[in-house]
Amino acid sequence: MERRTFLASLAAASAAGSLPLRAEAPPAGGRITLLHTNDTHSRIEPFGPGNGAISGLGGVARRATLVKQLRAQLGPVLLLDAGDTFQGTPYFNRYKGRLDYQLMRMVGYDAGTLGNHDFDNGVGLLLEAMVAMETLQHANPAFPFVNCNFDFKGAPELGKRVHPYIVREFPGVRVGLTGVGVAFAGLVDPKNHAGITWKDPYESLKPVIKRLREVEKVDLVVVLSHLGHNNQGGSAPCDLLLPGQVAGIDAIIGGHSHTFLDAPVRLPQANGETLVFQVGFGGVNLGRMDFAVAKGTVRAASGAAMPVQG
Amino acid sequence: MRPRSAPFLLATLLAVLPLGAQATVKAQVIPVGPLIAEDPAIQKVIAPLAEEIKASFGQPLVNAPQGLFRGRRGEENLLGYWVADVMRLAAQGAVDAPVRFAITNSGGLRSNLRAGQLKVGDIFELMPFENELVVVELTGAEVIQVVREGLLRRGGEPSSGVLVKVEGTAEKAVLTVTWDDGKPIDPAAMVRVATSDYLYAGGDSIPTLKKGRKAVTTGITLRQMLLDECAALAKARKDLLPPPAGRFTVPVPILEAIRDKKLSTL
Repeated sequence: MERRTFLASLAAASAAGSLPLRAEAPPAGGRITLLHTNDTHSRIEPFGPGNGAISGLGGVARRATLVKQLRAQLGPVLLLDAGDTFQGTPYFNRYKGRLDYQLMRMVGYDAGTLGNHDFDNGVGLLLEAMVAMETLQHANPAFPFVNCNFDFKGAPELGKRVHPYIVREFPGVRVGLTGVGVAFAGLVDPKNHAGITWKDPYESLKPVIKRLREVEKVDLVVVLSHLGHNNQGGSAPCDLLLPGQVAGIDAIIGGHSHTFLDAPVRLPQANGETLVFQVGFGGVNLGRMDFAVAKGTVRAASGAAMPVQG
Repeated sequence: MRPRSAPFLLATLLAVLPLGAQATVKAQVIPVGPLIAEDPAIQKVIAPLAEEIKASFGQPLVNAPQGLFRGRRGEENLLGYWVADVMRLAAQGAVDAPVRFAITNSGGLRSNLRAGQLKVGDIFELMPFENELVVVELTGAEVIQVVREGLLRRGGEPSSGVLVKVEGTAEKAVLTVTWDDGKPIDPAAMVRVATSDYLYAGGDSIPTLKKGRKAVTTGITLRQMLLDECAALAKARKDLLPPPAGRFTVPVPILEAIRDKKLSTL
């Protein structure tokens, strides 16, 4: 090979980044970026004045721009939400969550989970909002919901739309997504979660993570959690305790406690670490976590909260 | 590719060079731009809905020259007092009988009412939930226990019809609850109590409310009840003013002990 040709091919290879060296071999690894929100609470428009430090921040239309820009820059991206999409502004009272889910589809969400407030108008209207999102005429596909600790036996129509886990495949990275929700007791009126039973999130996650790792052979396990970041020494399950209870989680995208974090909390594990993140509420910030994966193991990870500022 | 108006300075873009045995992280700085533009397609959907919302929720309700506020820690929740007062009055109207006590949850009051002309949307932001007003019967002893549970959980949930005083220290706190005219509460007396279906169903951990007898579901949402009260005040050419303070007297060290979960009995 002539030196000039060799240099040119070297340049092409490094420009291609994650492309495999031999086209026929499966890539040995890859990169994935998780973008995420939590507790958006029907904040369709940015926060108005008089809201202190978050005045003027957020808004679905700006979030859409930011997501579009990042997708264009980054390639493999999953846009995820950790629940409590509903309740908080007159938009929810008027459109009962249909608008929230439809806008999420337009923005390009890949999956969401359920928070306690998503049950505020009962199972029937939650289902209606999901159906309105699914039947919307839009180029983006409808997005699924994930949760593994609600038993939907008495609410089969809702259960059909909430999966214990899903798998998404990108060049060199298989991503397993699951979700957990906070206990209904004291938070959701029993008539509003009729037919759905809450189960312990730790015990519910264990077989799901095992299956994702051993059967689905995913490289990255992501949990959308509406448990809350920190139970302040109480007995309730929470995100900070989750990695110590359930092995094999790479990322926890948290919600419920409206915790503003600038960067993920990194909790060391027997095999690597778990990144635990949450970005406040109301769509004020968009969370971002990047993972480099090779041979089924996370080789590098980082993350940051990005203000949605107009 | 760098978009011209990249909106933020971001941390690290991961680049894996080469993929395989050793992965390295390369930081790449994205230029800071101050603004994120609104996505035109999304904005096109939102704009007409925002107009509609603004039209219906922008309707003026009543003047609140001082505003009504939940209060910071150590301050009384005058907004909550107002809501509880309106609940008690609305419940009396609904069951056509005296209602001695009302309690709501501060966590259910989702925003303050800022001073000035209130609009319909302000009441929706304060009370977005579809919770209904419920009337139950409790004994006097149970009313005191409900107050105690609210204190232990959140430093006192907004109530109407009682005066609540905590004295002593965090190690030895003493609770006194009387009717709002200062008269003692007969523990055996059966009284009517107004609350929300959410609290009656066990929400926010005031378990004694679940003991409520002869529950009447009024079918009135708390929000509609507040909207009606504001409209009635405006019609009578009155301002909406906060109820006077002095219902809950709790020393700050005890409030701090409650916050830090160091006060288990009261």
